[in-house]
Amino acid sequence: MSNTSSYIRIDKVSRRYGAFKALDDVSLDISKEEFIAILGPSGSGKSTLLRLIAGLDRPTEGRIHFEGKDVTELAPHKRGIGMVFQEFLLFPHRTVRENLAFPLRMRNEAKAEIEERVEWVAGILSLSTMLDRYPSQLSGGQQQRVALGRGLVARPTLLLLDEPLANLDRELRQEMEIEIRRYQKQLGIPFIYVTHNQEEALSMSDRIAVINNGRLEALGERQAIYDHPQTPFVARFVGKSSKFQGVVQPDGATVRLARHDYEFALPPDKKFNPGDAVEIFVKNERFDISSKQDGGVGIPSTVVDVVLRGPFLEYVLETDRGDTVIAVKPKRNDPIPIRERVLLSWNPADCHIFKDGADDARR
Amino acid sequence: MQDANLQRRLILDIPTGFLLLFFVMPLAALVTLSFWQTENYKIVHEWTLMNYGTLATERAYITFFLRSLVMAIGVSVTLVALSWPIAYFIVRYGGRYRIIFSLLLVIPFLSGEVLRLIALQGMLGPAGLVNGALIRMGAAPLRMIMYSNAASFIAFIYLYLPLVVTTIYLSLINFDFRLAHAASACGANRFRIFTEVVWPLNLSGTIVGFMLAFIPTLSASLVPRFLGGPNGTLYGMSMAQQFGESGTWALGAAMGVVLFLFSAIALAILSYGVDLRRTGFTGLGRQ
Repeated sequence: MSNTSSYIRIDKVSRRYGAFKALDDVSLDISKEEFIAILGPSGSGKSTLLRLIAGLDRPTEGRIHFEGKDVTELAPHKRGIGMVFQEFLLFPHRTVRENLAFPLRMRNEAKAEIEERVEWVAGILSLSTMLDRYPSQLSGGQQQRVALGRGLVARPTLLLLDEPLANLDRELRQEMEIEIRRYQKQLGIPFIYVTHNQEEALSMSDRIAVINNGRLEALGERQAIYDHPQTPFVARFVGKSSKFQGVVQPDGATVRLARHDYEFALPPDKKFNPGDAVEIFVKNERFDISSKQDGGVGIPSTVVDVVLRGPFLEYVLETDRGDTVIAVKPKRNDPIPIRERVLLSWNPADCHIFKDGADDARR
Repeated sequence: MQDANLQRRLILDIPTGFLLLFFVMPLAALVTLSFWQTENYKIVHEWTLMNYGTLATERAYITFFLRSLVMAIGVSVTLVALSWPIAYFIVRYGGRYRIIFSLLLVIPFLSGEVLRLIALQGMLGPAGLVNGALIRMGAAPLRMIMYSNAASFIAFIYLYLPLVVTTIYLSLINFDFRLAHAASACGANRFRIFTEVVWPLNLSGTIVGFMLAFIPTLSASLVPRFLGGPNGTLYGMSMAQQFGESGTWALGAAMGVVLFLFSAIALAILSYGVDLRRTGFTGLGRQ
């Protein structure tokens, strides 16, 4: 992405607390009308990055630009952002209407304009009937919508969302995921969505930035992040997968698992030296299960349990070496029975292989 | 069943009896006495409004009362203004020493009120620390702080500062400062974060602190006696004299009723004048 087309530009930003690097040399360009998820485990630095963009904290190094303007030293209230917090943080002493009007009043908008904007945002978020209630009189989902409305009402340059769905129950969360994505497409401003929940990141965003240990681990289209992880961390963190240890055989073209009697051919695009120790990640839905009688190859295992997940079946398998592996398959009317002996394998093109210790070597 | 009943009655009846005996009864006695008369150190059981008439017409009592009222308002407002920055500083920057800071505030309470007033006399008097130093340096002593209303004012501040700081501290420590971040992200500058969010959400705590200073100052008798000087007589001090030297108990009782009513009115104004839902008041539980 070129310098001029990026709407939000985060340029080599670091944040240190004493000797601790909360954020280390992160660069990120965000275009207008983009929904970007910042995904990372807790303590990875993703919230620090969000606070830097919001202006609630200052970077130790690096610059932040909005629409070509350097805002690094600008106070939060001068940045024209909207923000939605995990704990909602609605003003408890103000009604819904006053909460929604707050950002507009802070910008000293005219009374008529404030009323019009509040009506508008209450309309798109279905809050019109509860404008005179206090936040404590609302359900969690309603409070969430008010928080979202407060973030959007004053035409922000961008909306920052800090794990906004973490306090909602599962059903409501899935509903809100669709809603939030719809608002973003409707409003045409970038949404920066911080989460530790990879499912949320995958279901809502256009691009995903994976943060780990203060560093930008990966950045790309969500499909690419999911299907072609570039580092072992991303392979482990995005999607649900199982990890195996293996060794590249002397021919340099096959990998043999360390704990299991299973060999498979290296995909042609993977280059390793004979004798290299490697880590292999296989997504749960990429496993093949064949029955023992068919005489195929694979890791000999036993079906321990079958969990029905709507249109999918989750087979809980125990390998003969005692490891538990979960394999996800489309629902069938005749699932493999519990205690059945099976062989577990995968298409070599579908797994992700990294040199052992690649995570550590990068640090 | 019997036991549970008995237990509940004990839990309810003992405090109720205590309140009736030592709280309601003396108040009733005070009100009754205020409608009687005292003559030559004897109580005359004759219903009359004369005591209240005296208080409403005699200049000295009106002066004492207005002086007390102005003093109480001035002291309470000053204390709130002083305590906010102190409490705010402890809560925001005290870190793990917060508890120590707040305990330090209570240290003066470990000695008695009279002792603290005598110490202040030593500080502010003609040969006290302040004026003694001024005289030794060849300067004129500060007459303002010698046995005057100013001296009383300083004493009230000194006496009640810990109370007010502690009250506001307790309010602020329970305040969710992330709300200030939210306001900031909504475009509020520091001033408006304070006026729109921090102050209103700590208003009920501030009012409690205000009242904790206002009520005892309005009825104070020890401070003006020790430090007020000839022109520093306050209402409470005059009231104490009615029960002591003058022996005019009925008039004193009427003064007590006046003080009681005034404090009650102040409390009513402050608690009904503000919508508790808009002050971060949590005493009613979650609604």
